[in-house]
Amino acid sequence: MKPPPFEYRSAHDSTETVELLTEYGDDAKILAGGQSLVPLMNFRMARPSVLIDINQTQDMTGIREDDGHLVIGAMARQRVLERDPTAGVAVPLLPAALAHTGHTTNRNRGTFGGSLAHADPAAELPALLVAMGGELTVKGPSGTRIVPAEDFFLAPLTTTLAYNEILVSARLPRLPSGTGTAVEELARRHGDFAIVSVMAAVHLDSNGRADLVRLAAGGVDSTPIRLHEAESVLSGGTLDETSIDAAATAAADASHPVDDVHGTASYRRDMVRVLVARAIRSAIANR
Amino acid sequence: MTTTAEPQETKYTGKSQQRIEDPRLLTGHGTYIDDITVPRMIEGAVLRSPVAHARITRIDVSKAAELPGVFAVITGNDLVEFAGEQPVIWSVIPEQRIARAHALATDTVRWVGQGVAAVAAVDRYVAEDALELIEVDYEPLPVVADLEQALAPDAPKLYEDWPDNISGSMTFPAGDADAAFAEADVVVGASFRHHAGYGCSIETRGCIANWDVFAGKLDMWLGTQAPNLARDLLAQVLSLPVDKIRVRTPDLGGGFGLKFDFYPDEIIAAILSRRTKRPVKLLEDRQESFVSSSRARDMRHDFEMALRSDGTIIGLRGTAYAVLGGALGTVGSGPPWASVLACMGPYKIPNQELTLKAVMTNRSPYGSYRGWGMPKANIVHERLIEFAARKLGMSRIDLRRMNFPTPEEFPYFSGAAFTYDSGRYADCLDLATSAVNERGWNVRQREGREAGRSIGIGYGFHTEVGAFGPSRVLNMVGLDHSGFDEVRIRMDSTGKVTVLSGQSAMGQGTHTTYAQLAADGLGVPIEDVTIVTGDTESCPYTGYGTGGSRAATLGGAAIVNASGRLKSKILRIGAELLEANPDDLEISDGRVSVRGAADASVSTADIGYSAYRMLNGRLPESETPTLEEIDVFDPANMTTSYGCTALLVEVDRQTGAVTLLDCLQAHDAGVIINPLLADGQLAGGLAQAFGGGLFEEFVYDEDGQINTASFMDYLLPSATDIPPFHFYHQETPAPHIPGGMKGLGEAGTIAGVSVVASAIDDALSDLGVAVTEFPMTPPRLLELIRAAQSAGVTA
Amino acid sequence: MSDKHTVTVTVTVNGQVYTGDCEPRMTLADFLRHECGLTGTHLGCEHGVCGACTVLLDDVAARSCLTFAVQADGARITTVEGLAEGEQLNTLQKSFQEHHGLQCGFCTSGMLMCATELLRENPNPTETEVREGISGVLCRCTGYDSIVKSVMAAAGDQRDAVSEAGSAR
Repeated sequence: MKPPPFEYRSAHDSTETVELLTEYGDDAKILAGGQSLVPLMNFRMARPSVLIDINQTQDMTGIREDDGHLVIGAMARQRVLERDPTAGVAVPLLPAALAHTGHTTNRNRGTFGGSLAHADPAAELPALLVAMGGELTVKGPSGTRIVPAEDFFLAPLTTTLAYNEILVSARLPRLPSGTGTAVEELARRHGDFAIVSVMAAVHLDSNGRADLVRLAAGGVDSTPIRLHEAESVLSGGTLDETSIDAAATAAADASHPVDDVHGTASYRRDMVRVLVARAIRSAIANR
Repeated sequence: MTTTAEPQETKYTGKSQQRIEDPRLLTGHGTYIDDITVPRMIEGAVLRSPVAHARITRIDVSKAAELPGVFAVITGNDLVEFAGEQPVIWSVIPEQRIARAHALATDTVRWVGQGVAAVAAVDRYVAEDALELIEVDYEPLPVVADLEQALAPDAPKLYEDWPDNISGSMTFPAGDADAAFAEADVVVGASFRHHAGYGCSIETRGCIANWDVFAGKLDMWLGTQAPNLARDLLAQVLSLPVDKIRVRTPDLGGGFGLKFDFYPDEIIAAILSRRTKRPVKLLEDRQESFVSSSRARDMRHDFEMALRSDGTIIGLRGTAYAVLGGALGTVGSGPPWASVLACMGPYKIPNQELTLKAVMTNRSPYGSYRGWGMPKANIVHERLIEFAARKLGMSRIDLRRMNFPTPEEFPYFSGAAFTYDSGRYADCLDLATSAVNERGWNVRQREGREAGRSIGIGYGFHTEVGAFGPSRVLNMVGLDHSGFDEVRIRMDSTGKVTVLSGQSAMGQGTHTTYAQLAADGLGVPIEDVTIVTGDTESCPYTGYGTGGSRAATLGGAAIVNASGRLKSKILRIGAELLEANPDDLEISDGRVSVRGAADASVSTADIGYSAYRMLNGRLPESETPTLEEIDVFDPANMTTSYGCTALLVEVDRQTGAVTLLDCLQAHDAGVIINPLLADGQLAGGLAQAFGGGLFEEFVYDEDGQINTASFMDYLLPSATDIPPFHFYHQETPAPHIPGGMKGLGEAGTIAGVSVVASAIDDALSDLGVAVTEFPMTPPRLLELIRAAQSAGVTA
Repeated sequence: MSDKHTVTVTVTVNGQVYTGDCEPRMTLADFLRHECGLTGTHLGCEHGVCGACTVLLDDVAARSCLTFAVQADGARITTVEGLAEGEQLNTLQKSFQEHHGLQCGFCTSGMLMCATELLRENPNPTETEVREGISGVLCRCTGYDSIVKSVMAAAGDQRDAVSEAGSAR
């Protein structure tokens, strides 16, 4: 299980990264934390002829608040993000979701942007971005563009990133105070990719009616999915067992999972129903 | 049930001695196979078949051979020039068709992962590059992907000249099973399925072969549990005299039976070495391991149990199907055979009819994994007795107890093969149930249930046949090897002790337990004892190898015997030096003294000096120089240890997920040499069994492809999946083993699968779920829960 | 192979500086094992799951099978060989010996490195935190319970040592 040969280039910043990507074209891959790419290379399932290492770059790090948003640099290590007090307060889903992302050793090296760009449909961070309606900042030869999270993920391991573009950061809206959040994940073992994961955020107005509902699921389609139908069921209403069940059913109906060795499509769909209901209840309880 | 162990001073035996292996291993100073580099060494890699069944129509290695850094590329046709077929040492079924294969396929591949060609190159990176350049054309043949397909009347055949895919079949009768089932008040039965998994040591297998035709020697470093067996088999396959072969074993990063078996890789490395005139290291990588290390556990048991209404078991019958691979591995159908021989477990069952059918499929060869068939035997008797308890409305504890042989009934012949040596089964059962109470599990269960949680307590009683086993008996039942163990114990000229053993150290702490026994046997400090294992040129011969829970029992007994004789000689020399009668002397802490007069003493250093250097006037005329004893111990019978395991679980009825909350085991393995290490063996085995019970599975598709060939998909349990453990020991000595030890290395793996099912059933007792399939994954359990729920609704 | 592109890598491992030439594809694990001769770091899966190859890379636990040696150029690395204090086992190692936290020793390097970081970040872990903290290292021998006990006890011993040092001051 030794990787195939490749040419190694280390980029100094995002601009140089884009230049190198442009120079090498489709043969090049960006090496960030390496927690997903390198296993694929060791299995010889990925064989880029050039690796552009961005671990020495300094312009894509940083976690800061900006105008009601949390802005996270693509090179922020997942473990740093998980323990960052600003991030945890602004988006409580972050530490909760990251606790399910591999093990601490993976998160030590693994980057925020790397997980998004890798676009595993069962990974937590993509589902979180989709749930939060996050926006991704993508840099290419002609400058940067902003991509809404729901438009960023196209298929398993496929995003809208062009061959010569790099994800540099993402923005997540800060949730109003009093918002309850929850991550419910079913995985075979702690740290495994989710069979199904659900991210939920719920805010109630003074009359106890939901004025903010965010729901997304991972592992149940070719990309993480925002559960709009389920959100609609809940929005503007009181959250009781009837509406939660209806939302859970709507969520299950909206998912299109496939079979794999850890669970059939129908099992996954069932689990969406179970976990969505649990996540909503937990989010309400966590307010 | 008599104790043969002499009451002796045990300064070390029975104590939780810290391991002498540890400082080395804790500092990164262990030496595992991949840590060894020998001069001029190059590295190999094996090209493995990507298809399950096909004819090889063309192999072109020319591009690979031209790659810079490549020394040699060989195919099956190159290999057969020097090597015969891979050996099968267990032929347990009379007239069985034994399908053998060469280490590399010559014309047909019969499983995904079968070796097709091999490369030796400057390093592993280049060797893997070269594999990608080998071109092979396969003409597909119909695939027999699973047991049911293999047994179908119109099934494609793996071997054209066979009438079907059945390698062999045999039945063990005892009493009159048909009559017993005819007169039974209650019959319970089920089809039990344990899917495939493997031993999965964290260190994969590996070897370094140096076949130097000019030196006339094959020198092999091999990560094996059975160096003497490996040497014999290398000789057999390569037509070499045994004395021209040396096998050395480095530290093993776990063995678990997987490293008992003899693999094609050993032969491939030897041929590559001969071809390149260089030592060749050949390591299996993790991805390969799922198809190149012994597949195990894969069986179906269709069994039923007959009882009287008072709970007396009167009959057991059924058929066990072994899902063998495309060729037989080293141990043939040995483990499936053991699963049949042991399937009555600890219960007295007068009438039995037990059938084994060994069936070929296009899967990788079946082989050894800790427990060696007995985990599935345990599933049969422990699941059936719980189903019977349910049907009879009896306590599952009471039903077990009433069917045990009593202590007076030992030695007890179980019906098919084994005679259990000694035991207090009911005491052990009570020890477990009282521990469950002490730990408050019943309260936790009650309170949990009141809070709406599905908490279950599982029980399982197991027997473990160890000290494998009298050589002549093993030969009679089909083993082409032996079961004795030889030990050499030596005191040197400074009075320090070296014990040489043919057993392998693979993490179980053999060096520490042997040092404890030798130190006590001789009366010396444990620091004065060195244990040497792992070299066929300097260490004694052991039959079989380190498997079948043989190390502590047989090697231990040999140490007890040899050190006893050596001690007598030490005392005779001491008597000469002290001008005393040997009978009046004792040895303690390395000093020989007159009993009751400690001021008159000599040290073992004085004894050693007298036996090796200054003989004149010090060594009795009647004594030969040197201080050395050899003992060859071949047991009169195997040992049977036993235990009762209890497991606390919680089931999530909405997802089918099972959480293991707590686990305890009451256990009797006779005399325990080192409780700390004994508990470690039990815990480690249980964790492996929980893996098999809940997580680990080779999943195949209809083409015979394995879909779980990574640690992302083959799920070893991690620290968050395994519960805490609590162990309770009782000691009923093995009557025929000097020292009184019984085997315990396999206890956990035997006990731990069925107890998972028992606990899940208990958590879902209101639904009447009956778990019969392993691993019981969340989707499978959810299906059972839903079926039970809808059955409950319709009822 | 003369036509192969190689890079020069310099790392400081356990205080010792090592320089070696390798292909960019050589993993840090292989560099440590083969170029530095530090074979205490073990490879159990080479795809980042078993954790046996865990080392401290600039003080942060990392899987050396998922890091290329070239990426570690200039880095400070601690491996299992760097844990002992002189000729004495350190507190964590002693605790593993005392509580039988190892059997074959193969995963042990990864366990020790992982636990070293865990105790540095969280000197008073609960049992649950220890189990989660080491869940990225797979052990096939022990059943984990003895490892959890070893780490918990080491945490206690480290606390004792700190408070003794404090009272001595």
